Amino acid sequence: MGGLALLGCSGLAWAQASATELALSEKDFLADMPIVLSVSRLPQRLDETPGAVTIIDREMIRRSGARDLVDLLRVVPGFQISNSFETGAPMASYHGAFDEFSIRMQVLIDGRSGYSPFLFGGTAPGMQAVALADIERIEVLRGSNSAAYGARAFLGVVNIVTRHPLDTLGLKVALTHGENGIRDARASLGWRTEAASFRLSLDRRADDGLSGSNGHNDIQRVNFRSDLSVSAQDEIQLRAGGFTLDSGRGVDNKPDDAKHDRRHNSVYAQLDWRRNLGMDQDLALSLSHSEEAYRDSFPLEARPGIFVNVDYGGRANINTVSLQHTMRHGSNVRLVLGGEFSREQVKSKPIYDRDDPLANDFTRFFGNLEWRPARDWILNAGAMAEKSSVNGSSIAPRVMLNWHFKEGHTLRYGVSKAYRPPSAFEQFADIFYSVNAVLFPVVRSLGNARPESVLAHEMGYLGEFPAARASLDVRAFHEQINRFVRRTTVRPYDFINAEDFVISGLEYEVKWRPWQGGRIMFNQTYTEIDSTNNLTKYAAPKRASALTFSQKLPAGLDLSLMHVHNGKMTLRRAAPEVAMSRTDLRLAMPLRLGRNRGEVALVVQNLGSAYADFSPRFKFERQAFVTLRMEN
Amino acid sequence: MGLRLRILLLGLWLGFFATAGAHAAVTLVMVSSDRSGAYLEAAEALLGELERTGLPRAEVLHLTPLEFSGAGPLAPKLFVALGTQAALTLGKAEVRAPVLSTLLPRASFERVLLESGRKVSSQFSALYLDQPLSRQLDLIELALPAVRRLGALWGPESQGQAPALKALAQSRGLDLVQATVAGNESLFPGLSQVLEHSDLLLALADPQIYNSGSIQNILLASFRAKVPMMAFSPAYVRAGALLALHVSPSQIGLQAATMARGVLQGKSLSAVPLYSQDFQVSVNGHVARSLGLSLDADDLRARLWHREGAR
Repeated sequence: MGGLALLGCSGLAWAQASATELALSEKDFLADMPIVLSVSRLPQRLDETPGAVTIIDREMIRRSGARDLVDLLRVVPGFQISNSFETGAPMASYHGAFDEFSIRMQVLIDGRSGYSPFLFGGTAPGMQAVALADIERIEVLRGSNSAAYGARAFLGVVNIVTRHPLDTLGLKVALTHGENGIRDARASLGWRTEAASFRLSLDRRADDGLSGSNGHNDIQRVNFRSDLSVSAQDEIQLRAGGFTLDSGRGVDNKPDDAKHDRRHNSVYAQLDWRRNLGMDQDLALSLSHSEEAYRDSFPLEARPGIFVNVDYGGRANINTVSLQHTMRHGSNVRLVLGGEFSREQVKSKPIYDRDDPLANDFTRFFGNLEWRPARDWILNAGAMAEKSSVNGSSIAPRVMLNWHFKEGHTLRYGVSKAYRPPSAFEQFADIFYSVNAVLFPVVRSLGNARPESVLAHEMGYLGEFPAARASLDVRAFHEQINRFVRRTTVRPYDFINAEDFVISGLEYEVKWRPWQGGRIMFNQTYTEIDSTNNLTKYAAPKRASALTFSQKLPAGLDLSLMHVHNGKMTLRRAAPEVAMSRTDLRLAMPLRLGRNRGEVALVVQNLGSAYADFSPRFKFERQAFVTLRMEN
Repeated sequence: MGLRLRILLLGLWLGFFATAGAHAAVTLVMVSSDRSGAYLEAAEALLGELERTGLPRAEVLHLTPLEFSGAGPLAPKLFVALGTQAALTLGKAEVRAPVLSTLLPRASFERVLLESGRKVSSQFSALYLDQPLSRQLDLIELALPAVRRLGALWGPESQGQAPALKALAQSRGLDLVQATVAGNESLFPGLSQVLEHSDLLLALADPQIYNSGSIQNILLASFRAKVPMMAFSPAYVRAGALLALHVSPSQIGLQAATMARGVLQGKSLSAVPLYSQDFQVSVNGHVARSLGLSLDADDLRARLWHREGAR
């Protein structure tokens, strides 16, 4: 009996205790909390970064109607883009579309390098790694950023930040259908448990490409991301995914580039671990692995009736481990130190005429000091030392001084130096075919090219005008390129340090919210490339302008207009210089189906006449499509 | 003498009295839910101030609720409860002298009233630990004048304040964006909805919403949405809230001492529970800077103080 009473008592005590835990008490006001917004979670403000940054946020992505990340970059100051899949995938370059690839930029997807070491190397495949709908924001770092991101960030960086799974819970589906064979589809599912959140997304982006091209482009992607809070101090993120990119290339009546299909497969896995070491420091470890495979071959009629097989296929993989320590000392000093080891392997018998893979081991050490010598001054001083087992060592330093000369107004001046070693292709390519035991060499890279360098000076101004609800971003630049690596003009092609030249000019961007629901962005870039070679001189237009206007209308309607105009520039596949302009329109209407929200949007791209893209034979014609989006 | 050392000495001294059972000539009995951290800090401030104004420490008895229950009859002029548990113990005890409950939030005091069956009067009153909504809105106006849409998440323990906050927000031309999270529901849908439509998340204490397990998700979501959080304790500011309005245990102790002295001098205890007169503002400078804000905690406190004085 006594035992029973005791049991009853303790049961009651337990019930009381749990009720008390859920009830408000002084403990809620007095208890300690874990540090959440630790030092590396708090990004630098735009007016304190060591360089110019354009942020494309989710709202802008959605309202642009763009189906492709690269297509969206056409409205970023200083960018040249091509929607052609001829050399792999659409590509974007900053301050000069110097070749058929985009090799002088870096693209990062949640911190993972999306730079493809295969063939020429380039950012085009990386730009296709995630669907636009999975992106939270795109940070475009305009200007050389090798001090923070390594040799590949020679002229700029596109930093893609995907959405947190907690922001994409539930099921979301979207369908796009329209002219020119446009047929995109997407589904994503987000879910969560007590300590983790997950997202799985699948999508397809397909169309018939530029008119005149052998375009039938089909990208199918799968991406998985999970964020786990392991403890109050530790957070782990896991990502994995891949895509298959099928495209058509080649043209009629060109035996050495006959119409054929190409397939590019890419997979990756990435693990990030962040440990909070207290109020003022944290540590981030990242491991990643990625692989890509190309299949690209076609029969070439070398002599009438005699066919040889031309092959650009191969495989590449990258393994990277990096560690970064961010710390703060008082409110005036912040220091980032880190190291990275990365092994890249490229294997292609037809391109390199060797059976074993070409390996390149990169060891990188980097640091950036952000120091406030006085209240309104910020000095960013950083450098990256990079050692490549193939290309030797280089150091890329940068110093930038920001001065908030008046509240909301900042002047910035800085200088940076960077090196880009030639890619595996530029150094080791050995492509030939043989007809009746006679060798016909196509590319023979002798490996004589030395790393090219850039010495960049920049001056910037950032101003906020809250009364007018406007902001202004100006960047004046002087980029001295030395030992620029270019392909020779006669077969067998080689890569040589062809010339030194200067890219100089000015770009500005105005953002303005003139009235309720309205948003206007306008930018212009004036670029002068001081070269006697027309391919170089017109790699960027002398003047490029972009205007984006969006307006919320009654009944939830949403209207956007985007207009770009570029002065004359060389097309990617060397041809006469041409100018282009393009206007896109988007009209969207919200939908509601029971508890589900959605949107239907009509987009018309290039309202005006067709313009040449990549080659004078390829045209971007007017195309219209409708997108239906639903989410629960 | 350092605060820690003083607290240690106080602890030893209190321990001595608790064990010696010297109950003679006790003027004031203080029952404290706990004898650590904030409770000791408040007790030290209270006793220090009373001593400074003429009440010898020997006339004060400091007990835990358990010690109080076993202490036998006591006849001081005033009981002071520090914390909810202490207030509940004193509320349920048959004591003759007035009881001042403090270092507890308003909702806890109201629950004490309910569970003890006592009514608010000059015999049983309180000095709250939480801050009045009007003062919180004043601080928002001073610190973040651009805020037009105020977000709030209500749980079972905070819901009672919803009508008051709505009325206050309306009177100041602010839109209140709110969501209620039921007992066992996930707070995430409500949080996303509130963050999507508001300029500032006003966190009002509720253990089912804001706790050490949920704070990471809430602060990260608010940071991603660029909606800063105004919280109710400095711990949240260290964690990543932009700012907080709160009262320190010593400030509570000092005001409780002033109220206690009144009673000891023959005045009656305020029949209306009071919010603290003094308060503190905490700002996370790093978060403020990354949001492009320049906030100075001392300056904000001074301006808020001045504004209240002018009223």
